[in-house]
Amino acid sequence: MTASEILKMMPLIIVLATPLITMLIIALHRNHLTTMIVSVIGLVLAIIAIPYSKALDLTKIGELLIIDNYALFYFLLIFTATIAIIIPSYPYLEMRFKGNREEYYLLILTATLGSSVLAASTHFVSFFLGLEILSVSLYALISYLRQTNEGIEAGLKYLILAAVSSAFLVFGMALIYSQTGKMEFNALMQFFSNSSKLNLISIVGLVLMIVGFGFKLAVVPFHTWSPDVYEGAPAPVSAFIASVSKGGILALLFRFFSQYDVLNSKPLFLIFALLAVFSMFGGNFLALLQTNVKRLLAYSSIAHFGYILVAFLAGNNAQNFKGVEAATFYIVSYFITIIGAFIVVGIFSTREREAMSVSDYRGLYWRHPWLSVAFSAMLFSLAGIPLTAGFIGKYYVLASGIDNQLWTLVIILIVNSALGVYYYLRIVVEMFSQPEEAAETKHPSPSVGVMTGLILAVLTIALIWLGVYPTGVIGAIKISVMGL
Amino acid sequence: MNSIIPYLIVGAIVFVLGIFTIVYKKNAVGILMGVELVLNSVNINFIAFAKFVDTGIHGQIISIFVIILAAAEAAIALAIILNIYRMKATVDVTQLNKMKH
Repeated sequence: MTASEILKMMPLIIVLATPLITMLIIALHRNHLTTMIVSVIGLVLAIIAIPYSKALDLTKIGELLIIDNYALFYFLLIFTATIAIIIPSYPYLEMRFKGNREEYYLLILTATLGSSVLAASTHFVSFFLGLEILSVSLYALISYLRQTNEGIEAGLKYLILAAVSSAFLVFGMALIYSQTGKMEFNALMQFFSNSSKLNLISIVGLVLMIVGFGFKLAVVPFHTWSPDVYEGAPAPVSAFIASVSKGGILALLFRFFSQYDVLNSKPLFLIFALLAVFSMFGGNFLALLQTNVKRLLAYSSIAHFGYILVAFLAGNNAQNFKGVEAATFYIVSYFITIIGAFIVVGIFSTREREAMSVSDYRGLYWRHPWLSVAFSAMLFSLAGIPLTAGFIGKYYVLASGIDNQLWTLVIILIVNSALGVYYYLRIVVEMFSQPEEAAETKHPSPSVGVMTGLILAVLTIALIWLGVYPTGVIGAIKISVMGL
Repeated sequence: MNSIIPYLIVGAIVFVLGIFTIVYKKNAVGILMGVELVLNSVNINFIAFAKFVDTGIHGQIISIFVIILAAAEAAIALAIILNIYRMKATVDVTQLNKMKH
């Protein structure tokens, strides 16, 4: 490996080194605040390394990794999101967990590493490795609050289902490998584009891989784990699963199919279209019935991944990557909103339990005007109300669908957006309604730390800024998607 | 053996046994063993394909990674199962039903 290759990989190397250094620091001096600060510094250094890495010309690192603009864009997104999740984790853990809190940061950092390896991988080996670094860290993170029944239960559920889905995925890889003898994405897609060579085994392999993808993205009908895991996991970890973990897998999905014309291939188009339709309807209808905010966010995230799949169908290489562009913008806005929403849920948690029921938020405006405004902004964006990032994202997805005449999918998307508005607004209405008399004693008012408040403020401002002036971010996404 | 078919048959049998174990076992450790069976069937396939299809050793390399993963997963899974046992004095997964819709 040459020096310039090492320089090119610098962001990844820093993210790899940070947990190692953190581990040593924990061995020498166990302190919660120090660990948190060191991990944030590591991530900030990794972000600083991104422009230097971008300036270098070469992209391919051996056979396994490709660090192009697309990968670097996702690195930036993943690292920033992780920082936004780590900082509010500090007061959350201080309040809710009485064991060793420091290892939490190690696990989050390794999970981030896994997710960013996914965004940069072009080979089955790096794909598998990244996915498993991510999932194995998540098993431990989900059951981190090990004195709670829910945490342990969620951890075991995720462990079994994720292990089975990885097994399906890797079995699919084996079947594809048996037909091609290759594991590089580009070579595989050349094979699949040449329909004369396709046979039953390779198609079964591809379907098994899509099942694996579906499990990780929690699209219907592979979604059953997600509400339980979102509910049982600590709020910051739920935010991490919803954003960073799914983002890395989506980045890989886009890259995997980037050279393949999904839109004009009958069976694959049908599979993804069905997944998208089921996820949109399933997610939204199940969310309508929910009174638990964390489960509601879980179902709504199922629906959001249905929307993203519509954009994914609307085009990659053959359509000039318009669809991937829209999907990437949607992911950016979705990251901001879902992380913000879970931060608010984390702030309202008490030592005994998390603020999960919708009634916990009753009259929030009268106690915490700023918090409730930030939370409303997040919910409006999830619902796709104008002037928020969610609206521009949805508009973009719709536009890419209309460009390719996917009328059925577009109409279903619009109907579902209307459904979504109802259950998001229900929480908003609850927040702004008058509290009952005894409310003050029932919900002890939480204290918001300076840093957590700052993160929340930045997220809210970013949300509105993207909703009003998205040009800059869209330009960056266009450049990054071009080289895919 | 110079034919790939026996390897595929053994791999498929182990895969199906693993899936059945995962679906029908109520004991968390049993489910974990089912997962290991499935991963090992994948290994059999990868190594067979590396011998018969590929000119290189990609299949063997990925199977080493799968073995490492299986070990890491078992470590974490047993830690979680141990905590369940400590809390509930049972490792029956049907007892884990606190969260419902």
